[in-house]
Amino acid sequence: MTEPTLDPTVDYPLSLHRQDLLFTPNGKPIAEITMAAVMAGEVAASDLRITPQTLRLQAQIAEKVGRNQLGGNLRRAAEMTAISDERVLQIYNALRPNASTKAELEAIAEELEGQYGAGLLAGLVREAADVYERREILATNE
Amino acid sequence: MADRVLTFADEKPAAPGSRTDEVLIGVSPAFADFFSQTITGMSHADVIRQILAGIEEQEVSARVVRIRHSSDLAVVAHTAAKLSGSGIAIGLLSRGTTMIHQRDLPRLSSLELFPQCPLMTLETYRQVGSNAAQYAKGESPEPVPTLNDQMARPRWQAKAALLHLKETEQIVKGAKPVEVVPQFAQALAN
Amino acid sequence: MTAVTPQPASIPEKRQSERTRVLEERPVNLDGFVQEWPEVGMVAMDSAFDPEPSVRVRDGVIVEMDGRARADFDFLDQFIADHAIDVASTEASMAIPAGEIAAMLVDPRVTRDEVIAVTKGLTPAKLLEVVKTMNIVEIMMGMQKMRARRTPANQAHCTSARDNPLQVACEAAEASLRGFSEVETTLGVVRYAPLVAMALQIGSQVGTGGRLTQCALEEATELELGMRGITAYAETISVYGTESVFVDGDDTPYSKAFLAAAYASRGIKMRFTSGTGSEVQMGNAEGRSMLYLEIRCILVTKGAGVQGLQNGSISCIGVPGAVPAGIRAVAAENLIASAVDLECASGNDQSFSHSPMRRVARLLPQLMPGTDFITSGYSATPNYDNMFAGSNVDAEDFDDFNTIQRDLQIDGGLQHVKEADILAARHRAGKALQAVFRYLELPAISDAEIEAAVYAHGSRELIPRDVLEDLKGAQQVMDRNVTGLDLVKALESTGFSDIAENLLTVLRQRVSGDLLQTSAIMTRELQPLSAVNDRNDYAGPGTGYRPSGARWEEMKRLRHVTSAENPEVEVD
Repeated sequence: MTEPTLDPTVDYPLSLHRQDLLFTPNGKPIAEITMAAVMAGEVAASDLRITPQTLRLQAQIAEKVGRNQLGGNLRRAAEMTAISDERVLQIYNALRPNASTKAELEAIAEELEGQYGAGLLAGLVREAADVYERREILATNE
Repeated sequence: MADRVLTFADEKPAAPGSRTDEVLIGVSPAFADFFSQTITGMSHADVIRQILAGIEEQEVSARVVRIRHSSDLAVVAHTAAKLSGSGIAIGLLSRGTTMIHQRDLPRLSSLELFPQCPLMTLETYRQVGSNAAQYAKGESPEPVPTLNDQMARPRWQAKAALLHLKETEQIVKGAKPVEVVPQFAQALAN
Repeated sequence: MTAVTPQPASIPEKRQSERTRVLEERPVNLDGFVQEWPEVGMVAMDSAFDPEPSVRVRDGVIVEMDGRARADFDFLDQFIADHAIDVASTEASMAIPAGEIAAMLVDPRVTRDEVIAVTKGLTPAKLLEVVKTMNIVEIMMGMQKMRARRTPANQAHCTSARDNPLQVACEAAEASLRGFSEVETTLGVVRYAPLVAMALQIGSQVGTGGRLTQCALEEATELELGMRGITAYAETISVYGTESVFVDGDDTPYSKAFLAAAYASRGIKMRFTSGTGSEVQMGNAEGRSMLYLEIRCILVTKGAGVQGLQNGSISCIGVPGAVPAGIRAVAAENLIASAVDLECASGNDQSFSHSPMRRVARLLPQLMPGTDFITSGYSATPNYDNMFAGSNVDAEDFDDFNTIQRDLQIDGGLQHVKEADILAARHRAGKALQAVFRYLELPAISDAEIEAAVYAHGSRELIPRDVLEDLKGAQQVMDRNVTGLDLVKALESTGFSDIAENLLTVLRQRVSGDLLQTSAIMTRELQPLSAVNDRNDYAGPGTGYRPSGARWEEMKRLRHVTSAENPEVEVD
């Protein structure tokens, strides 16, 4: 299914105007996140998260109002929805100064691409690896 | 009574501690060296004496290490914590800023933080020593009540910045921590 | 003409004038002022050591920026060159004289979009050059047009010197009623965070729902709380203007960009934080001026694709505040953030001066033109309870702030609220928190504690809690994986349906991502309002946002207003 084309002046906020497009990661339509459903145990904490599709819709809106970098961030975020909380925090910590060797960062980039299809995030990690090498903030092998 | 003067002697490479009932005190590059007092004029000698007294009261032993490669409080404290047999250390900057750190915590976290150096008192330093020692023993002391003076920033921040710049100038890049022994001598009378 | 009294020879000191003695005792003379020292960066914006603006593009890549060749870029330069600056337009925009760009900012007839078309191609040194041509009034004129969201809003700090969660819940409820769109908390003891963050979340949904909450902590811990839905957004994700200081802060623009995407991937709103003075305060300004380094932070934020920035010196305000033109530089940094199309939460959140006059003067360049958040932390408690070490404005300034709004017809996001309504909201928040704690088997909150908290001004009037028991409870919250959804269920189960519904609405926004757009908040009707559906259309007199209608009527109310109909009584 192709991504619908949005008009920021008409479709935003999506939660008001385009509920038809909004689903939880478990496939529930946003309109079904009601108090009754919560109390009946039909809503999980994992329902209160955003899907990659929705992130790309918001990226589209951002780009259409001229915010390309914000769109880029949201597209990277779309890739990251596939990664567990724990792994996200681990990769973040690995990107901090003097935390990883170049090989370790390359391995993360490969994992992002291969396991998660996260080409944009892999690109960010590879870029970081190169800059860290040049600026000498990679971990030394101790 | 003449003021006491603090010097650190008998430098040797700092080794990781083997006993779990110890607290390490990590001091910054210019502590009791280029500087001899905190931002409010409290002598470094008195500060160290109070901390040691607090640790001793809990029947825990103490070692002092000089950190020369950084003037960042979290780095000073965390480096010392990683050397400490109990994993607990106190970090001290020349101007008086203090924290109690633990080796398994993220560097920018802490067990207790005292960010407003102008508010530190001798009594507070003693309590910091005492609490650190209790953490070392595996106890859970009530945190030292947080000091908060909202006018500390307008009054002291720029001076603190200048003091920090001076301390940062004393950094020796790549220097390894050294263990030191505090020596208290009477100052020469005026 | 009085005769001169001969000085007796025995008095060794020079006689001081009585006027001097009075002036010496003025609060302003307790503030810290230092001489400029440009070599180490102790200068606001006027430094001979800042680079000259330049840019060179080859094959779609910036190969030189502000006098530095690509091979010599530090990681900030590289990130900015590769992600922040629009490569297609940069050479053309950089060729426009700085004064001309400044005139575009000031001139109401040049639209916001037209300005951004130019600013998106500017380097840090060029942006600095532009604002150096602007005086404070011109900076304010620029701010009026360039803020992203049309309607200004405000943010409060809700903290307790004792990290008392009950107090925080009550303060959040009152702050919500008073008009704050966002509320922020932090801790003296980090381990208390789960309980305090929960209290903030619950209290903020009492009265007026839709308020967004954050808890300022170390990066990874803050993300974890956000992921659980115990907070709604994050702000204290810091970026720094020199590579050395950034590394001391244990991050890089790349790690921060990754973290930014992480928040968005969970549907959580966030912004970065930076501010003039941080680099010199941390001992490594690399000889650059405060504002030059701050502009690098602004562009890192832009490059990371983060929607907004908290700046205006923030916790370092004592540093620009100590040097000449420091507060002008602070206003300029807010303007530049807005001018590159970022949301701006514009400081005023840190105690800046002993002088009431100086505190107001520092506030006006944001309050008068309006920003996305006039303050990024108005202390909703008296300053002694402010765990950010004091704010520029606190609870004791509420009536003054509301009066200044009314005097000048400027909207700082707040309104006066009657005591009865405040007490009711504080009470409701206390009862709700008590119920949730009981439901989750956390240490009990007594009715006596609630009574004390409802009527309290600050933590001095509270009944102290058993901190160690609370800390155990806080650990429980983390171990048992308590989430925002659990809070919704707890509130609904214990009879606080309206609060539960408000909280669910806020959490549900994560599914839509509407709050991820620039300058997003929720209205009193719990609908997303952002720079997308509330575009700043300021274009001169009679245009743009002006408080009017029902809002203006609301702003006219103060604690004591004499009735016109019957001058012997006050308006209710």
